[in-house]
Amino acid sequence: MKISFNWLKNYVDINLDSREIANKLTLLGLEVEQTESFGADLEGFIVGEVLNVIEHPFADKLHLCKVSTGEKELQIVCGADNVARGQKVPVATVGSTIPKPMDDGSSLVVKKIKLRGEDSEGMICSEMELEIGQDHSGIMVLDPELQAGTDLSEALKLVKDTIFDIGLTPNRPDASCHIGVARDLAAVLQTDLNNPYKNTPGETEPLDEWIDIEIRDPKQCHRYVAKIVKNVTVEESPPWLKNQLRSIGLRPINNVVDVTNYVLHEIGQPLHAFDYEKLNDEKIVVQSYKETRSFTTLDDIERNVPAGTLFICDGKEPIAIAGVMGGLNSEVTRATQHVLIESAYFDPSSIRKTSKHLGLQTDSSYRFERGIDPNLARRAAERAAELIVEIAGGEVLNGCTDNHPVKSLPQKVGFRLKKLNNLLGTKIKIDQARKILDRLEIETRASGTDELQCTIPTFRPDLTREVDLIEEIGRIYDYNNIPSPESTPFYSPAPISDWEILKNRIRSIASRLKYKEISSNSLLSEREEGYFSSEDEQIRTLNPVSQEATTLRTSLLGGFLKILQFNLNRNAKQLRFFEIGNVYRKSDKGTWIDGIEEHTKLLLGICGFRSTENWLDKAQYFTVFDLKSDLESLLDQTSILDQLEIEFHSREELRYIQNDQVLARLIKIPDHLNEVFDIKLPAFAAEIDLTLLNKAGFGKIEKTYKEVPRFPTFEYDAAYIVDEKVTAGRLSEIIHQTAGEILHNLEVFDVFEGENLGKNKKSIAFRLTFLDPNKTLTINDVEPIVQKVTKALEQMVGAILRS
Amino acid sequence: MISDIENLKDEIKKTVITDKESLEAFRLRFLSRKGKLQSMFGNMQNVPKKDRSRVGKAMNEVKELAETKFNTQKKALQNKKKTRFKATDDLTLPVSPEYAGSLHPLTQTENEMKNIFLRLGFDVADGPEIEDDFHNFTSLNFPPDHPARDMQDTFFIRKSDKKEVQDLVMRTHTSPVQIRLMKDQPPPIRSVIPGRVYRNEAVTAKSYFQFNQMEGLYVDHKVTMGELIETLVMFARLMYGSDVKYRVRPSFFPFTEPSIEMDVWWESDSDGQWLEILGAGMVDPNVFEACGLDPETYTGYAFGMGVDRIAMLRYGINDIRILYENDIRFLDQFTG
Repeated sequence: MKISFNWLKNYVDINLDSREIANKLTLLGLEVEQTESFGADLEGFIVGEVLNVIEHPFADKLHLCKVSTGEKELQIVCGADNVARGQKVPVATVGSTIPKPMDDGSSLVVKKIKLRGEDSEGMICSEMELEIGQDHSGIMVLDPELQAGTDLSEALKLVKDTIFDIGLTPNRPDASCHIGVARDLAAVLQTDLNNPYKNTPGETEPLDEWIDIEIRDPKQCHRYVAKIVKNVTVEESPPWLKNQLRSIGLRPINNVVDVTNYVLHEIGQPLHAFDYEKLNDEKIVVQSYKETRSFTTLDDIERNVPAGTLFICDGKEPIAIAGVMGGLNSEVTRATQHVLIESAYFDPSSIRKTSKHLGLQTDSSYRFERGIDPNLARRAAERAAELIVEIAGGEVLNGCTDNHPVKSLPQKVGFRLKKLNNLLGTKIKIDQARKILDRLEIETRASGTDELQCTIPTFRPDLTREVDLIEEIGRIYDYNNIPSPESTPFYSPAPISDWEILKNRIRSIASRLKYKEISSNSLLSEREEGYFSSEDEQIRTLNPVSQEATTLRTSLLGGFLKILQFNLNRNAKQLRFFEIGNVYRKSDKGTWIDGIEEHTKLLLGICGFRSTENWLDKAQYFTVFDLKSDLESLLDQTSILDQLEIEFHSREELRYIQNDQVLARLIKIPDHLNEVFDIKLPAFAAEIDLTLLNKAGFGKIEKTYKEVPRFPTFEYDAAYIVDEKVTAGRLSEIIHQTAGEILHNLEVFDVFEGENLGKNKKSIAFRLTFLDPNKTLTINDVEPIVQKVTKALEQMVGAILRS
Repeated sequence: MISDIENLKDEIKKTVITDKESLEAFRLRFLSRKGKLQSMFGNMQNVPKKDRSRVGKAMNEVKELAETKFNTQKKALQNKKKTRFKATDDLTLPVSPEYAGSLHPLTQTENEMKNIFLRLGFDVADGPEIEDDFHNFTSLNFPPDHPARDMQDTFFIRKSDKKEVQDLVMRTHTSPVQIRLMKDQPPPIRSVIPGRVYRNEAVTAKSYFQFNQMEGLYVDHKVTMGELIETLVMFARLMYGSDVKYRVRPSFFPFTEPSIEMDVWWESDSDGQWLEILGAGMVDPNVFEACGLDPETYTGYAFGMGVDRIAMLRYGINDIRILYENDIRFLDQFTG
């Protein structure tokens, strides 16, 4: 929202410069997001009188003008056809800079030159060249009353201005106009507000002879005021008004429309001017329709307006979309004689809906949807009528039709000083608080010791509670003035949660294992997520931002593969990634929300080369066992590995299970996914359910020192021939069970297949490491155990010990 | 006899050993079984008895000389072989730098922020990213027709016309966790809540449909705005340096009243500007009531800030998409 510094000065005495004011406004909660300067300097531009015009002797289209600047007579060559003797014109003297930049962006500095052999000592300018209007059909012709030699900016009342662009918060409809901003400023500068709308209007007679107003939808239209000015002369507005509107980015239309816009930006009441004679049946009906209607708005666009939208109609048809934009059919034009000024109150949510449906936000709808003062309509209409007469002539009709079915009375709110100071941590006195409320036009009445009964003006619909008044006092007082607490209280912080500890540990372990953390999208395309889950378990957004992000991830795999693809396309050779993130799926039992399982998972993934070719070694691809080693290291470091059951799920997947729940999965990325994601190097991933891990109590670090073994270990190698389908995992399980605790460690040091072993047979060689905490083991201790193991393996999986 | 020994001594001394061959020749000539020393010892029987101990001693000396010379030269020759500059003796040969693990810059920033609040006595809390209408909007004092409830601004998972079935959304802020905390436990509550949040925004250099926030909540008897501002100033000083220039200005959020925002002064090459770093305020009485807490008994403050934005400022990242691309050449810059 644009606010003009000069305009503000109409209502409040300001001794500060624009920078200081911008700062004040920001500290008041009217954040100045940008400050722009408006208006050219026009230094060296003066009013000139054209004394004589003759044709240029050597150029058809140029004229030689004698121009008086009061002191001197200049010869100026001019190309415009409308230049004529006796005119007062704007003259750029030698050395001045034309405000409008040239086509190449550079500035034109006026010099004394010869044009086709004739001297030219200046330039007669058009509106466009001066950047004060769009007209470039010819030179600008000034008021003949002006004195030659007068400074042009003085003659045109063009003053330099500063425009504040304020980011208005939605709770401050009152500040969406110059008087509203000035009121805040006056409060903080502790000065008076000069408010032309202050007087409460007295009794009035309706304009029954002229207009009949009917509100058929009082829920959406609480009030409708009409005021009529007859016999106006519609023409261009005077320079000061055009200039004022331009300064805040508005395009001047004509003097009547400009006045309604001026009042809107002055006090915040949107107005609309109708050409009275275009109204059928001298009637205005405020109503909505049950069906969609086509309607052409002022901007000459035909719009499909949905059913239920509030219209202003005459006796026959709609003439305006209420609160948003008027219709072309009732527009004020140069031919207009009598003007009907509409000043109404429309329900904010109704206007918001309309504006959204039509995709059309106007200065009018912006204010209505935030909530204007419901008791301002008549004063604003009267002010507009007065200004129209002042500027466009004519005569205000006595009386005013004021249809006001829904009335709003000022609210009363209690205020306790103690509450104020307790909440803000201040020591504000009651007089000080009262003074601030006064300046904001909140009436106060003492209702007890340090307590007030406050009457809230109807232009502040946001103030309904004591805490809202506290905020008002706080922001005028300036939060930066709140003193530091005298002492800092002693807090007894809660212990850090197991969950937080677990996540931090996992991050630290993963990065120590040389994984780099990534952060992928929670939303994938339907196609991408479709590779990992079925439709009935997926959750989708009803309103995706794009087809690339429609479906919530059920695992972190999709994001990982996309990031692999991104990096491989950029020639990365070695990738080790981890991510901690939430995944979501439909489920009977919800985690937080019924029907939705939301778990936090950890992904570990590798891709490409463990080592690239160098002088020491040949290039080596990652294998699934590189990842398995890291995964188990991580599970071991969280002290859970020993308690997991390992399930050989498929050739592509190994599962780690606790209490029938899959806690972790080790996955070889299958070929079809490698193809889809264009992954040409081997890739493997593991996913660990941290939510389950935490539930199982592994967030805690509970470590107890165990004595380091004092006796040496004893190693024993044994190779077994088994059927190819028997897994090493199964053999290990049997060996562990049979050998018991004395078996300290079990490794596989050799695996091979060969014809000599028998058909469909393989050999797995184990190194068993035994340890007894109480003595040094010898072959005599170990051999019986190994024999037992061999026997068990033979019985359970038909294993044969190789000699 | 003695002179023979002396001659032999000279001969041993004069024999030059330069390589393996001359070393072997030396051994054969003097030290082998048919060598000169052996034959010298064989002559011992011809030495008169009275001279034997003297001659024996001299012979032993010669033997020792020969052996010492042989061993020394042998070692020298071996050493000579070793000093050859083999290809792998070249320590300038390059190695591949060890692949390093790292935390994502968003995590690093979040950790830094978290650690500050841990020092200030906060703990860390967590909540779901899919939320119901009550937690994300209604309890936080969002009016029914607030623009944030629009499909244009928020991702909906479920939109319901029935009163008893709530809308579900991807949470638009971490504030719903405040509600869960206040409903689940009696005050005092003093927590920060980091987490991922979602807005229905197109992906551009300046906006992304997901980002991270860190929310803070303190509820107790007699919590004041003065304490809120003091806490935020302490945070700003620890995060941006003790000489940070800051200001607090009024703002508006549905769930706090009064509401404020904090700006810090950000120097750039040419000049500086105020940059908003967080929003905050005193918990709105309506929020307390939605959680079953009496606003006359308790007061509290809440604040929230964008982790992505702070990370981008911190590392000079000018495009938010970079954070979610995960280019390894980007991530590599955040090791150590």
